Amino acid sequence: MKQLWPHLKAAFVVSHCLALLLMAIPAPGGGMSKSAWADPTVQGEFEVWTERLNAWGADLTVAELEAELWDFATAYMAKRKAVLDPLQPYYRYTGTTQSWRMFVAPHRYPARLHVELKEEGDWRDLYIARSAEADWRSRQLDHDRMRAAIFRFSWKPYLRYYESFTRWVAARAAEDFPEAEQVRLRFWKYKTASPEMVRAGEVPEGKWILPRVLDLDDHRGAP
Amino acid sequence: MKLWRGLVDLVELREPATVLALFRICLGLMVLYTIGSVVWHDIVELVWMDAQHGGYRTLKGGNFLVQWLGGPSPDLVWALIAASLVAGLALTLGLGGRLVAFATLWLTMAVTDLNGQAGGSYDELLTSGLWILVLGPSSATWSADCRIRTGAWHDPSATSGSWVRWLGTFQVILAYCSTGFQKVSAYWTPAGGYSALYYILQQPSWQRWDMSAAAYVYPLTQLMSFATWSWEVGAPLVWLWLWLRHTRERGGRLRRWVLRWDLRAAFALFGLVLHLGVWATMEVGPFTWVTLSFYLCFFHPDEVQAAWARLRRRVAPAG
Repeated sequence: MKQLWPHLKAAFVVSHCLALLLMAIPAPGGGMSKSAWADPTVQGEFEVWTERLNAWGADLTVAELEAELWDFATAYMAKRKAVLDPLQPYYRYTGTTQSWRMFVAPHRYPARLHVELKEEGDWRDLYIARSAEADWRSRQLDHDRMRAAIFRFSWKPYLRYYESFTRWVAARAAEDFPEAEQVRLRFWKYKTASPEMVRAGEVPEGKWILPRVLDLDDHRGAP
Repeated sequence: MKLWRGLVDLVELREPATVLALFRICLGLMVLYTIGSVVWHDIVELVWMDAQHGGYRTLKGGNFLVQWLGGPSPDLVWALIAASLVAGLALTLGLGGRLVAFATLWLTMAVTDLNGQAGGSYDELLTSGLWILVLGPSSATWSADCRIRTGAWHDPSATSGSWVRWLGTFQVILAYCSTGFQKVSAYWTPAGGYSALYYILQQPSWQRWDMSAAAYVYPLTQLMSFATWSWEVGAPLVWLWLWLRHTRERGGRLRRWVLRWDLRAAFALFGLVLHLGVWATMEVGPFTWVTLSFYLCFFHPDEVQAAWARLRRRVAPAG
């Protein structure tokens, strides 16, 4: 056994590294969603790459590139799953999941959360993401874990979580403002300003998306 | 066969356990930070409990441990949080050896996996590091275990297999390389004018404060986009450098030429500046500090010891 032990250790180290390496090979993961691909940020990427590929001699439309990539990614993810499935127990029980999709692309069309309160018939800002003035419950909502969650809410695959989040906000607003009537949540979606726009003092245009108005009476005493 | 023999010889190498102990202390503090900050900010119910109990969403059943324990009830979630904080403290102090490292790993996973939407890659990097601590004798020195065993906090004769520390370097370099190759956005390339970093800084989700001033140093952000991507994708070169250094007695012109520069130190210095820059401009939780904890693994315990001795001489010159 004493002679075998170093060999077992070496076999473990090789297996461990190989398992990690296989899972770390780039993959779209949770990004495999048609609705997410329809977002203007992702469409913008397709447009730039189509232009670039055509400049290199390809003859593609944006739709064709998107379809080709979808087919490739679907087939790739299926093969990846087949390879990784037997290793899943190791990742699961040792906490060694390898998912390193960090800042893979700037979100050119981000969405900023606004929460407003209706009191005596008038609306006022309660919380605006990153605002120093409208900072209701910002200690909770600005924590990095909630930032990660709120970031997802404006993407279609996470819409049902946004709906339940609006109920959480309504319950807290009803608790903090017993006399208030309604709460409104919505996102301001805009294209981030280019350096030239910032230097010229231009403010990017945008639009309101996902507006939700909730009656606070329906949420008083809710968990 | 020769390759296998060489590998077996490598895993038999031993070194002072000081770097592994420092890595343990850092990760123990990171467990306290990552779980403790959620308690401190009063968002335990919001992110880690079901909508029925004050959470913003319906939770699934939790990970395997939570399921074994009957599902994410409020009592269980609070018990897991308390246990992970106690385990994190014990790990920092070096009490309980591998068993505590293992308990910390499973408890931390049980808590952070409750809601995968409210977290980041730092959770996975942290648990990957905790698994490394399970594999090695991380409480052999600079620990309460050492104090109990020898009567002193530090045992200079305590050793661990070098391979455990090497797994730390493998993990962090793999993470960098993987994230680099996934940066397929045009904005990270000349096609998008290397503008990725500038536009990432404009995203409200992660901003620590308004970053429109970056427009006035746009060329610098372009340079940093290029440098960051190259640094991430080129990270495996550090493995090559470490291997060449490990086998320096084999000689050869190329090896000698490469070893004229400490590529590893340059890599770590760039990483340190980059991560501190991310920390100063963006709110990304414990990501900066968890990642930097792994940097310890780049250095042999003798190098850390020598650096510490140099620092002490500067701070308190003899005489």
